[in-house]
Amino acid sequence: MNTTFKTDIIGYGLFAALILFVVPWAFAFDGFELNTFARYLTLGMVAMALALSWGYAGVLNLGQAATFGLGSYVMAMHLKLRASASSYNGMPDFMGWTNVEVLPWFWEPFHSLTFTLVAGLALPALVAWLMAVFMFRGRVTGVFVAIITLAFLVALQLVFISEQRYTGGQNGLTGLAPLELFGWRADAYSTSFYYMVAGCLITALALGLAVVRSKVGLILRAIREDANRVRFFGYDVARYETLAFCVSAALAGWAGMLYVLVLEFASPTYMSVPFSLGIVIWCAVGGRESLVAAALGAVVVNMLEGRLSSIFVEGWFLFLGILFIVVVLVMPRGLYGLFSDAVQRLQTVSPRDRGGKVATKATPLSATPAVKEEN
Amino acid sequence: MKRRSFLKGFTIAGAAGVAGVTGFPGIWTRGNSAYAANGEIPVGVLFSLTGAVAVVESTLRDACMLAIEEINASGGVNGMTLRPYQEDPASDPATFADRARRLVIRDKCVSIFGSYTSASRQAVLPVVEGRDNLYWYPTLYEGRECSRNVMYGGAVPNQQQQEFVPWLKEKFGGRFYLIGNNYVYPREENNVCKIILSQIGGEAVNEEYVPLGHSDFSSVINRIRAAEPDVIFCTLVGDSDVAFARQLHAAGFDPEKMPVASLTRSEVEVKAIGGDAAAGHFSSAPYFMGHKSAENEKFIEAYQRKYGTDQVTHFVSEAAYFQVYQFKAAVEKLAASDISPVNIRNAAVGLSMVAPQGEILIDGNLHTHLWPKIGQWQSDGQAKVIMESKQRIAPEPYWAYEGQACTENGLVRS
Repeated sequence: MNTTFKTDIIGYGLFAALILFVVPWAFAFDGFELNTFARYLTLGMVAMALALSWGYAGVLNLGQAATFGLGSYVMAMHLKLRASASSYNGMPDFMGWTNVEVLPWFWEPFHSLTFTLVAGLALPALVAWLMAVFMFRGRVTGVFVAIITLAFLVALQLVFISEQRYTGGQNGLTGLAPLELFGWRADAYSTSFYYMVAGCLITALALGLAVVRSKVGLILRAIREDANRVRFFGYDVARYETLAFCVSAALAGWAGMLYVLVLEFASPTYMSVPFSLGIVIWCAVGGRESLVAAALGAVVVNMLEGRLSSIFVEGWFLFLGILFIVVVLVMPRGLYGLFSDAVQRLQTVSPRDRGGKVATKATPLSATPAVKEEN
Repeated sequence: MKRRSFLKGFTIAGAAGVAGVTGFPGIWTRGNSAYAANGEIPVGVLFSLTGAVAVVESTLRDACMLAIEEINASGGVNGMTLRPYQEDPASDPATFADRARRLVIRDKCVSIFGSYTSASRQAVLPVVEGRDNLYWYPTLYEGRECSRNVMYGGAVPNQQQQEFVPWLKEKFGGRFYLIGNNYVYPREENNVCKIILSQIGGEAVNEEYVPLGHSDFSSVINRIRAAEPDVIFCTLVGDSDVAFARQLHAAGFDPEKMPVASLTRSEVEVKAIGGDAAAGHFSSAPYFMGHKSAENEKFIEAYQRKYGTDQVTHFVSEAAYFQVYQFKAAVEKLAASDISPVNIRNAAVGLSMVAPQGEILIDGNLHTHLWPKIGQWQSDGQAKVIMESKQRIAPEPYWAYEGQACTENGLVRS
């Protein structure tokens, strides 16, 4: 037990209470309002996934939207097939427009819900694993990881747009049927749907916290600080980085599946560069050193974006831009950094003071004394 | 240290301010459930002002706002004023869905006027269908859609091509080279074009698609040169169309022998292409700025007075403009307490009015009966209307698909 862990648990509890009790109450259990908030929560989930690889393992994935998009298309393919059951050959309508005669083989398995749910997590993880093997085995680090992941994202989006016959192209997959899960019909505008999304986020956060609090998490943070030293200790650095990268991808895929349920369509813009960079910004605003803070960052920025854009119809982008510049300049560790500094200041009289000073001397990236204490 | 703590304080204050702007969500959820209250009728205006399609969509916003202001200035609708809620969906489908949801739920709009691309319309569709609201979509599109919650103000393929393709064949010959961007609109238009060609004894010598935003057409131009078609049938949009027209002109193609026949090129694109490169080629549309009518003169005059004399009107902005008047005419038929999206839709069916392009009519299938025209571009950037359809053409969004029809009861399969 140490301060950071306690902060994490308290933050987690507060966040769970916020999205489970406070938010539904504040929206008067209005399903339509909650749908809007459910969208923010799914974006929170993908920001949290990025915090796992970026904040903890130091792997900046600029292409996080790629795995998010894959998850969303997996879900959308299943729902599209359900919606097209009565059409010619059971084929989605856009295939008819592009003169496809039979359902392509890789669409077939998506008739199965179980396969879809598994694939939504496994496919992004598999893709991430392939990338990770090439990157981390080859000891690619830092800015090059960012470039490779970004390039992969652009390529993937291009494929989805140009293979219109199989993916619906620019319009994406629209006209989807609702999801049916154990006899429960997902109505995007119901309170039960909101609780499903909130429950997924809380579960995902718990999983993420379990990873970062385990021994694996400790090694990941050590890798972030000094990969070579960890390597000399005999740890297989690439394997740990790959693990973080894949878990992050699976969580992003999960978020993507939920996003399709919320918005009721899948679009190649889910894999766009601006969206992917947006995830990085949310993560930075919330604070990449904490999973909960990253999720909260996404929720806050998106709410703010929605609010600003209706107050300043023209030029709301400018306000948002200025806000991000201020955040990066003034609080590079995000809201979480602000919060943890405040906590530390309150504790200056406590014996932990020594550890606190060490942390302030180190670079802002380096985290908390937790690593040392747990040793 | 002092400075740091000042900055920290500043940020905390900033964060508090942010929370203030965000507001506590609860306060905007409650309110009157009636649609028209306090003598105001809330309508949503949903066109992108930023992002990739902002150039076109901002002109649609302008035309739509012009109509709203004109209506309010001349006494409103049955004494009530239109209250426009503007949003900027930033050319992004997910943002479109989000903003549409907000207009429908929070602002309680009875209708939304919005969007240019098919992708954004389809993103908004689940929202308006889920809440039984009404979406006024001014753009020409590919058809094959039959929502009871969308008022389609633009042309569908049969309206643009039914007279255009036979006319082209008669004048230039029946060998068409089909070139378009790779998405659903060009593909569907080309499907219709090929059906018409086979009926009248023409043929498509090649059918080619380039990615959206593609701007290097040298190899395409070489293929066109080799194929020697009679007509280049073009469904490129936006930047691609501009690049293609310029490169074709630079390559020395003669519009008299091998004209480009476009379904998408309007005054906006021609302005970007430049009059010289566009001159001599053809477009088919229900409206051109050069169309001569009293209503059009009034429209252009009001538009340029408000937004500047260098601004152009085009076939989508005309629809964005007249759809507000169609909305007004429909609402006028209702008592204030009956104003709701569904009642407005029902009142709008069968409504006839004189738009800048001519007298138009809303069909039971919620599409619009229009007056297709053929325009030839001049070096001053304007189209000369060289042929006008003798009768108003009915919209048939499933024209190319036997046994399917869009009717007042939705999609009917026979």
